[in-house]
Amino acid sequence: MKVLAGVALCFPAFGVLAMFSGFALLRGQSPPGPAIKVVDLVPASLSGETNQDSEPFLAIQTANPQVMVASAFTPNPFSNSGNAPVYVSQDSGNSWVLNAITPVPRMTCDITHAMAVGENHPRGDLHAGTLACASAITLDESESNDVSSSAPMSVQSTRPNVDQPFVRALGLSSGDRIYVGVNDFNQPNGRTATVDVSVDGGITYKSNPVEFRKTSGQDGPSVRPAVGGDGTVYAAFFGWRKFNGTVATSDIVVVRDDTTGNSANPFQALKDPSDGLPGRIVVKNASIPWSNAPTLGQERIGSTLSIAVDPNNSSTVYVGWADHGKKGDIYTLHVRRSTDRGVTWSRKDLPHATIRNATNIALAVANNGVAGLLYQQLSNGRWVTHLVQSHDAFTTVQDTILASVPANEPVEQFLPYLGDYDYLLSVGNEFRGVFCANNAPDLANFPHGVTYQRAADFASKKLTDGSGNPVAISIDPFYFSVPVIP
Amino acid sequence: MKISSFLFGLFGLFGFMGTILLVGPLAQAGRAFPQTQVNQAALLRQSSIVFSGTVSQLGATSFADVPKSPQTIVVRVASILKKPAAVSLKAGDSVTVEVKDPSAFQQGTRATFYTDGWMFGSGVAVKELGHEMGLSGEATKAAGERAKGQAPEQVSDQELQNRLNAAEFVVIGRVTDVHRWIAPKSATTHVTEHDPDWHEAVVEVQSVLKGGKVKGNKIIVRFPQRNDVAWVQAPKFQKNQQGIFCLNRDQVSGAPSSKPAGKQVNVYTCLGHGDALPMSEEARVRSFLKTQ
Repeated sequence: MKVLAGVALCFPAFGVLAMFSGFALLRGQSPPGPAIKVVDLVPASLSGETNQDSEPFLAIQTANPQVMVASAFTPNPFSNSGNAPVYVSQDSGNSWVLNAITPVPRMTCDITHAMAVGENHPRGDLHAGTLACASAITLDESESNDVSSSAPMSVQSTRPNVDQPFVRALGLSSGDRIYVGVNDFNQPNGRTATVDVSVDGGITYKSNPVEFRKTSGQDGPSVRPAVGGDGTVYAAFFGWRKFNGTVATSDIVVVRDDTTGNSANPFQALKDPSDGLPGRIVVKNASIPWSNAPTLGQERIGSTLSIAVDPNNSSTVYVGWADHGKKGDIYTLHVRRSTDRGVTWSRKDLPHATIRNATNIALAVANNGVAGLLYQQLSNGRWVTHLVQSHDAFTTVQDTILASVPANEPVEQFLPYLGDYDYLLSVGNEFRGVFCANNAPDLANFPHGVTYQRAADFASKKLTDGSGNPVAISIDPFYFSVPVIP
Repeated sequence: MKISSFLFGLFGLFGFMGTILLVGPLAQAGRAFPQTQVNQAALLRQSSIVFSGTVSQLGATSFADVPKSPQTIVVRVASILKKPAAVSLKAGDSVTVEVKDPSAFQQGTRATFYTDGWMFGSGVAVKELGHEMGLSGEATKAAGERAKGQAPEQVSDQELQNRLNAAEFVVIGRVTDVHRWIAPKSATTHVTEHDPDWHEAVVEVQSVLKGGKVKGNKIIVRFPQRNDVAWVQAPKFQKNQQGIFCLNRDQVSGAPSSKPAGKQVNVYTCLGHGDALPMSEEARVRSFLKTQ
């Protein structure tokens, strides 16, 4: 059953919320209205599933942006030993199918991916970094030339003892550049923040350490590359200086490479004036809580980080992260900006960009320079997913609430509950992204409407298995697209 | 002669409804389509979706997004013998089947398809592991009914066989103690969200079903207590738990031995889905071990 909620429907529960959140606009523009799209990714033929499909990610085929691949902690639906699946859309996100093609058995325990140009492979050039966790944790860097085929992705590189692969790609005629940020415990001296770079479409990778300072024994899990259209590559990471088991004292560090990550001294273009070492320290000694247990609602916290570069002006770059914030906060998001290629940064958080009790920050910059900020905030017992847009570094903003769902149900099956990350990209005049949420078919939870592929009865607010039998609420991944503000 | 005619001839010749023709990787992975007869029950075990139906289209697919090819056919489902609970599939649905040998099928061909999942969208697409011409026999139906009745968390026959094959020890035992494992300084540990939070269970061995003699009738099993996604399928042990345990030498925690009471002993792990089974599975385990 497919249900499309009309965006013009008025939900009293959201009236007050709208006033505070500003999805009525600060700049006096008309609401984006019906062009906002939210789609539950779980297909109709898996209507009976009740998995915790958390930690979503999204890749868009550059040459054919109607082709997209999404992922989550979705297990192989038919086999405990079969390949872990990805979601594939060929119609700009209106419909999705699940295809079991990753190299990992059953379910990944981390997956991110990117699609490069695709001029020769209209449904392909998908590059993925996956962790297999059947026993020891192993990274596979793999590729598919056709995400709709039944052929599993081919593994191009593999190694154990790493964490949180984060993949970006840049299509060049001389060969796709692939960037995989990883926390690599194989690096010497505890300088674990690393960016793997391939300049030949993933055939070979070079592992580049990007930490040049003494650490507490390692860096934080998140290492995030961002690629500008001119071949400038940034990466942000948490440089852990102390760690006591519950708090990491961490620098927020940004490195840069000006030649697609292929310079003689990769990622050493930015030096910090305090010590002359590579890597600009945006914030020194941030206090970052680390809790591998439900702490923010049913979610764990400890390493949310994002970096985004203006695709048409690589001098402008945004970085966002979470730390302790003020007294009484659990986890507070911050966003800062540089307009001189990461040499100097805003000394304080950008306006409207200090957000309490929130996680899963994801930044992107659209072609017209508008910055997008996706995050999930625990607010009055609900997980509220926001997309904030701004054309002036968050001085004025448009805040679109994509979902507001109960935070106490379903009960977590494992951690992370929603994910250690979600994701946001820009393509053409749209921001596109993915987030995870309680999948109760309740129109009041989705102020801009929602499309379910799986069987759902919005009148009774119940899921069914397609044959009328009830199905329990669980966590599903949701795709969205929102028009970029002018 | 067409292969389908050959098959009918074969069945007619031998009157052997309990056999099927299997083409491709199940028979001999990587070889050029050798044909062999495979036990029907074994094939049923290996398949995740088994159904009978009638071929309605050749070189076609039943829903958008599935790439059409000469090997894809559409089958109208008459009855379902086996499927995972989460998969929505019922009689009357049309399924895309990527077959090994399209020349075996014509419009109107009735067959039982032994398959694995491929794509799940508005419909279901599957990959053929084997097929049986005609609708399924009684034995298949009975086995299918048993498979349909399996709860999703239950370990399938195939998976159980794999776990038993891979295990160094299979024991019946009782957990007498559970404690957190303090890693020695020599063990390398890192801070990650996938930190397993290793614990140790002391298992008093009551019976060894596979493997050699157990010294002192006690085995230390190291297991991840953390409810992280990486370890969600790994069994968590509790004191006084009794069961059947498939064990392998610890190659994961970084310190494969322990020194309880000052004596160095090997440590084992039990990490996979189906590595810790309730006593109600004893008969099935013993039966599979007999065939090893």
